[in-house]
Formats: sequence, C-alpha cells, structure tokens
Amino acid sequence: MVATLKNKLLPGLLLAGLASTTAYAHFQLLYTPEAALKESAALPFALVFSHPFDSGFTMDMGKPEAFYVVGQRGDAEKKTTDLMQYLEPIQWSGGDSKAAAYLAHLPRSVTRSLGDYTFVLRPAPYYEKSEDKYIQQITKTMVNIGGLPGGWDEPLGLPVEVVPLDKPYANWVGGVFRAVVLSNGKPVPHAEIEIEYLNHEPQIEAHRFDPQGKATAPQDAFSTLSIRADAMGQVIIGLPKAGWWAICALNLDDHLKYKGKELSLDAVLWIKAADMKK
Amino acid sequence: MKRQTLALILLPLALTAAAVACAHNALCSCFENDNGTITCEGGFSDGGKAVGVPLHVFDAAGKVLLEGVMSKDSNFTFPKPKVPFRVEFNAGEGHIVKIDGRDIEK
Repeated sequence: MVATLKNKLLPGLLLAGLASTTAYAHFQLLYTPEAALKESAALPFALVFSHPFDSGFTMDMGKPEAFYVVGQRGDAEKKTTDLMQYLEPIQWSGGDSKAAAYLAHLPRSVTRSLGDYTFVLRPAPYYEKSEDKYIQQITKTMVNIGGLPGGWDEPLGLPVEVVPLDKPYANWVGGVFRAVVLSNGKPVPHAEIEIEYLNHEPQIEAHRFDPQGKATAPQDAFSTLSIRADAMGQVIIGLPKAGWWAICALNLDDHLKYKGKELSLDAVLWIKAADMKK
Repeated sequence: MKRQTLALILLPLALTAAAVACAHNALCSCFENDNGTITCEGGFSDGGKAVGVPLHVFDAAGKVLLEGVMSKDSNFTFPKPKVPFRVEFNAGEGHIVKIDGRDIEK
C-alpha cells in the first residue's frame, strides 16, 4: 500500500520540482566589483540576465536599448555619458547554462571626478516562454568616488525606477536599506517586490559566475524574497550579508505591450553591503 | 550675567559647532589634463561646495610653487610643475587634504 502511494506521488513530486524551478526570479545584473571607491579607476561591468541567488542560471540578452551613466559632484550640474560604445557581446556561463551577455570596460575618464555615478541599463525586452510575455528590467547600479555625494537620492526621470532613501553604496551588514518605487514619477502603493542576494559572485574576465554560492537557502521562499511596498510605495529591507543585493519592483505599468504580448516593465536597483571590520 | 545662563547660551552653540565639524570631511581629488595642466576638484562629504578654499602647491623642500582658491565650480587648474610636488587643499584645521604629485593620473 505504501509502495503504491509512493508511485502515485512520484510523478506529482517531479512536476512540483519543475514548477518551482521555473518560478525562480529573473534579475538584470549591472555588476561591477566595487560600489564605493576611494578614487577614480577604470571600471569593469558585466551585464547579465540571471537568477542570482540559486544557480546563476543565465538567459540570453538582446542588444541593450540604452546604457549610460549620470554623474554628479555635490550639487553641481548632472552630467550624462553614453556608454553604448563600450558594450562587448560575450557568452556568459552560469549554472549549467551559457547565454548572450555583455561586458563593458570603462576608462577611468568616465568616473574621473569625485561624486555619485548612477549607471542605467535599459535592456532589450526578454521573451519569457513559460509566461508568454516579455520582461524588461530598467536597472540602476550606483558607484561613488571618494565619498563626495551627488544626487544619489534623486529620481532620474525613468519610466519606472527604485529611488534610494539611503546611499546604495554605503551600507553596513546588519543595517536596513530604504527606497521608494516610482512609476512615471509617482510612488506605487503596495508594489510587488522581489529581493535577491548575488550569491554567485561574477568572475568578469572568466565570463562566468563563481559556481560556489556564498549562502544556502533553507527553503525555496528564501531564494527570492517576495515582499510588498507599503501604502506609500516605500520598501525597507535588511542587509544580513556582505555583497550585492537587488531590489526588483515588478510589472509597474499594467497596460504595456511588446510585439503583441504583455510586457512586464520592472525596475531594479542594486545596493552593496560591507562587513564592519578592522 | 549668571554663569548658568551663560552656559545655557553657550551649550547649544558648542553643540552646533561640534555637529558641523563632525558631519563632513574635506575631500579633494586631482587629475592631469591632456594639455599638461592639473585640475583639482574639492568638496565636502555632505555634498557641500569648496568655493574659495585655498589650495597650495609645494615642492619637495616645502617651498610654495603656486597657490590659488577653488572656483565657483570647486575646481582649481594649474600648469603641472616640472619638479616633484604636492598639493594641499586647506579647508581649515582638521580639513586639510594632501596629495602627492606622483599619485595624480590622467
């Protein structure tokens, strides 16, 4: 009797296993090793579309629609620099997968002044077969040079964006990070949010993720932390481990279509936490 | 004036002064331009400008080679000295940034 029951359950369990695999959240990476630099340097970037916590499983990226940086020293005027010329198509390995991604080796001149630099990536929409829809994640990564701030807390006027209330590049492990989710410049009450830790560190020159993760989730719900913004569109997350964390606000405009299909327009913000040590 | 009253007046002033001194650090960074000049940019860690902050360039013996003040854009540009030099951005006591000329890159 027990054996029969097991046999009946087994196909169901296998299906459940598959279902949970496809439920992993997609995150657009806009990765550079350091967020807070003492002085300007040539910065390497990896642009990869992946599942950063679980396996580093990677999906094909099309040619980005936009890639640029907005820099500001103190309250001086903002300066926008287009970075499309630096994009270099590559194949990136993650988990058991290999997919189209991009690198960008930016010269020191791009971030030569002190201040805040918000890197913005608008990737090509990605077709997600399992949901028969397109996903486009407008992604921001912020880097600071020399400790002089400049506009880190200001929206950039993107169609959708996660705007920091704390400096994304200056966070201690154990602290909290706050941000507001905006769509067309207005806060999005109760926005659907996913949080992931960049568990498999990118090895830029090897075009791959470190196969060894830094943490293990006790159960699936811990890989992607699904939360809601509050009634003001504000998100607060804890930062329990050093490294990069991503906040992704999902489907911030209900009415968008791309090639006749639904388009989920998401906003991603990457933030970095540092250990407090001597 | 009673001593206690004076303390009550002075205490908030002292606290304000302390708060100002702790809340920001002086920051300065220099780079070499293509035309052989050097530009130094200044500011404070609270985002404040460094307009009018004096900047001195010394040779190895400590002799002043040139001096100037930060512009309205918190910049100061000068011809690169032909001898070893260092830059001192002086925003007051505890707010001095020293930069060795050998560390200044393009």
